[in-house]
Amino acid sequence: MNAFGTFVQLIVDGLAQGSLYAALALALVLVNQATGLINFAQGGMAVLGAYIGMSVGNLVIPSVGPIAGVLIGIVVAVVVSFFIGALIERFIMRRFQGGDEDTSVVATIGLLTLITGLVGIIWGFNFIPYPFFFGSGESFTIAGIAISVWSLTTFLTIVALMIVLQILFQKTKLGLGLRAVADNPRSAALSGVRVGGMLMIGWGLAAALGTIAGILLAAKVQLNPNNFDAILVYALAAVIIGGLDSPIGAVVAAWGIAIIENLAGTYLEFIGHDLKVAVPFILLFILLILRPQGLFGRKRVVRV
Amino acid sequence: MITTVTGRRVLALTAAASALALALAGCSRGGTPSDGGETDGPAAASPGITDTTLLFGINTPLTGTTAGPGNCTADGAIAYFGVKNAEGGIEFGDGKTRTIEIRTYDDEYNPEKSASNFNQMVADGVFAAGLGLGTPTNRAWRDAAAEEGVPQVLVMTGDPIFSTREDGYMTLGLVPTYMQEGAAFGEALVADGQPHQVAVLYQNDDYGKGYVQGFKDAIEGESNIEIVKELSYEPTASSLEGQITELAATGADVLFHAVSVTPLAIADLQKVIALGWKPIVFLPSNTASPGGILTPAGVTGDTFPGVYSAGFAEAAAAPPFAESEAGQAYFEAIAEYVTGHEQDGKSFPHCVWSWMGAQILEEAFKTMTEPTRESFYEALTSITGLETDFGFGPIDTTVDGSPAVQTVVLQKFNGAGYTNVDVVG
Amino acid sequence: MNAVVEFFGRTWVRGVVLAIALVVLLVLPLVSDPHTNQTISHIAVFAVAVLGLNIVMGYTGQVSLGHIFFVGLGAYCAIIPIYYWWGGSLAEGAIVIGFVLSLVIPGVVGLVVALAAVRLRGLALAMVTIALPIIGVPLAKRLGDLTGGNEGLSIRRLAYEGSDGETYRGNPFGAPSWSGLDNDQWQYYLAVLLALLFFALAYFLVRGKFGRAFAIVKANEAVAGSMGIDPYRYKVLAFTISGIYGGAAGFLYVVVLQYTSSETLSFGHSIELVIATIVGGAGSIVGSILGGAFYVLVPQLTNAWGLSQYTLVAQGVIILLVLFLLPGGLASLPRVIRRLTGRRRGGQHVGSRERAESTSGNTKN
Repeated sequence: MNAFGTFVQLIVDGLAQGSLYAALALALVLVNQATGLINFAQGGMAVLGAYIGMSVGNLVIPSVGPIAGVLIGIVVAVVVSFFIGALIERFIMRRFQGGDEDTSVVATIGLLTLITGLVGIIWGFNFIPYPFFFGSGESFTIAGIAISVWSLTTFLTIVALMIVLQILFQKTKLGLGLRAVADNPRSAALSGVRVGGMLMIGWGLAAALGTIAGILLAAKVQLNPNNFDAILVYALAAVIIGGLDSPIGAVVAAWGIAIIENLAGTYLEFIGHDLKVAVPFILLFILLILRPQGLFGRKRVVRV
Repeated sequence: MITTVTGRRVLALTAAASALALALAGCSRGGTPSDGGETDGPAAASPGITDTTLLFGINTPLTGTTAGPGNCTADGAIAYFGVKNAEGGIEFGDGKTRTIEIRTYDDEYNPEKSASNFNQMVADGVFAAGLGLGTPTNRAWRDAAAEEGVPQVLVMTGDPIFSTREDGYMTLGLVPTYMQEGAAFGEALVADGQPHQVAVLYQNDDYGKGYVQGFKDAIEGESNIEIVKELSYEPTASSLEGQITELAATGADVLFHAVSVTPLAIADLQKVIALGWKPIVFLPSNTASPGGILTPAGVTGDTFPGVYSAGFAEAAAAPPFAESEAGQAYFEAIAEYVTGHEQDGKSFPHCVWSWMGAQILEEAFKTMTEPTRESFYEALTSITGLETDFGFGPIDTTVDGSPAVQTVVLQKFNGAGYTNVDVVG
Repeated sequence: MNAVVEFFGRTWVRGVVLAIALVVLLVLPLVSDPHTNQTISHIAVFAVAVLGLNIVMGYTGQVSLGHIFFVGLGAYCAIIPIYYWWGGSLAEGAIVIGFVLSLVIPGVVGLVVALAAVRLRGLALAMVTIALPIIGVPLAKRLGDLTGGNEGLSIRRLAYEGSDGETYRGNPFGAPSWSGLDNDQWQYYLAVLLALLFFALAYFLVRGKFGRAFAIVKANEAVAGSMGIDPYRYKVLAFTISGIYGGAAGFLYVVVLQYTSSETLSFGHSIELVIATIVGGAGSIVGSILGGAFYVLVPQLTNAWGLSQYTLVAQGVIILLVLFLLPGGLASLPRVIRRLTGRRRGGQHVGSRERAESTSGNTKN
């Protein structure tokens, strides 16, 4: 493979890896849009959903065959995650609604610890393969560039989700309701929006979205309670860079981060592959100095 | 002078409390708290050993990201001694028959926790400790063990420092050093006589660096082997595709893949296949399993010119193992004595290594003449020609600088398992 | 019940309790076993670490998710001079140098980070603090020749030259023969006494002008400016002090463990520290001690009971319970009991404490 081919390969790989960051970032954006919070436990909830999908899938595959079994597993996982997310919001996060932001953040940190611990107890800490439609190694070549089926699937899924979310927020009543509740719960309530319901839906949708991300990740690297720990940081960076309220921004930022990280690790000797984890932070920093509201975000006005 | 009522009260009560405390301090503690031994013959017994029992501590990660192998490092020994204890115990070299109690301590792969576990082990009065996983974690209490006179034996890390006989340290490594494995492959490449270009991917810690160092030492000065690119990765990385792409671009015909994280290893091999790169591949012993790595990655006997690994023990996941008598006894013991549904004795090679370690311990117990740690360590480091159930060669612990298991064999993947070979090609 | 609570509310009684506690603390190592002493020493180390985190998070309301970086950095600053120079002519001087460096360098880093990041809000600031341990670990490994990388540095048996020219092995933090103490006792005294010193300093800091300024910045930044308190200046100060305290905890870490490695500053510990801070009680001196105890004892207890796989679940459940029932952390327990058992003493005094019940700040912007 020649030098240009390598370059393009790195970009293609970056898009695929970035789609994983983007998936989690979308869930973070959703929670933020709906409840104004940053959910540090999003990755943990995603992993939990993926484990459920695995268990259900493995349970039904013997009876209905691999394709249907995997599909049922995914559907069940997404639906169950929706309810888990909604219940978590109702019974845990609701308590901190309207209170101090930092308390909610610490609560999500505690939630992350709890969920990781529970997953570890129930399913163990070993790596467990996720039964998926195709093997993670299947790939094809276009013009000398290797693209794995998984990469393509993930990429397309993310694009679809991004579009769906963008439409949801900008064009639907539900989206408007979610944003209204996050922005100003009291006036939203006065306008007839059911605040509590909106919050639960917001968390539920985010959890479902996260589970999709979790399943995609597990299909590639197998299931492990700590799967999203490293990715969460990239997703958070993507969310900030892209703007906390923009699904498109989060996804584009995620792709950008992954691509630049790949390129920096390969072409910048002094960074290398061990320090390339610094790249998202460097990007973040530069951006925040130049444009604090993020690439696509809206400026926030604080009234005293 | 203090004149207020409040002040006087504070002073008075504090003085009274101090007097009481000082009186208590007068009877300061004496002697070591964990003196559980009985005098037996001319030498006083070390802590942790009685006429009928011996306490052995395993300080290893039982939770966290390395919990899989970590649990395995204890499982093999628990199973083995479970069987022996059920048979009535082991007859020691001093004539007494004792049962072996294993106590595990979770260090979560955190050196600070590991060090405090050691304090707990001393408080619990263990006779000796070992079989634990991890270099930074074992290093954290290495000096403390030397200070307290506790043997730190048969540790599961390829770090050569544990096999170096140094004054005051009672340590011994179990598994071959990373250098040995890397060197085995290097020597085989050299012996091939053909020119080779090698691309290296290694984990950025003592594990990966050890492999590379051993490899480099073996190929030093040989004109037919050239390392064209060396890249590292962090164990916490979620994807190594960037590195693999960069290495593939070199067009090297050998890939030295010192990667210890299972899903990363699988993904790497898949990427190599996807890129159409067909090098000779070298895998370290803990990520070479056909069932755990190669099959999920879609590697068959023909995918690459050759997949090689440096092995030193049979793989529990391979079919011939389960068919052998020793293998069946092993699985029965695991099922009987090890709790935990995912602990099946074959997900990681460390379970088998732990079983072998237990056999080496048993040999030391059988030959030690006094119920003391010194006698135990001397017996442990005087073993020659011991055949273990699953090792490829006899155990010789007398060589300074070498761990207990020294026979490293180069193996080639044949589509289903590994066969021992002498040379690459 | 009420009478008991009231009794302990009186100033002179508190003074005596404190005095007795100090006496017990000082006498304890002479009578208890080494393991208990070591546990208490560990608690002292992490109490100082939690205190540092409290200064920036509890008192000033700035979320810091990378605090362990300062602890690890301080540990390196302490251990490297000792490792390389203790065996030579510098001897104990190396320890002093290590101590000074472990305060100065993390403090400077805290200062620099704060200057760069202080204008950021909420999540962005959190991300900058997250960056510290995440970049710190591979950086420590890259500088492996100096730091010992992944394997770490141990100073427990350092080679030194004796007066007769022979090489011996010694522990820079081993008990000197004139003290008549065992190693664990000596390290206990070093750690606990230094920790008490740092706690006393922090006590005076938060009672004084700085503490009040921190509290105002935390409560309402936009208003602080109009009161003549530059929020940025005080946030920078808080981060710097937090860095210094983290470094001090790192020094104590080396005193007690005589070992450090790149694993010491890994990100996961930062999360545990945050949890420990809140559980102990954010914005509370006593809470920092309780937080340190939580950090050390929970894993130790689950280990001792053979339930180590439940450590994470235990920590998660406890922090959530604390946030639900006792937002002020364990340190606020007496206050809550007093409130629950009725009978107010001097309404305004108690009432104002009640309002400050949440973990950090009251008004949402």
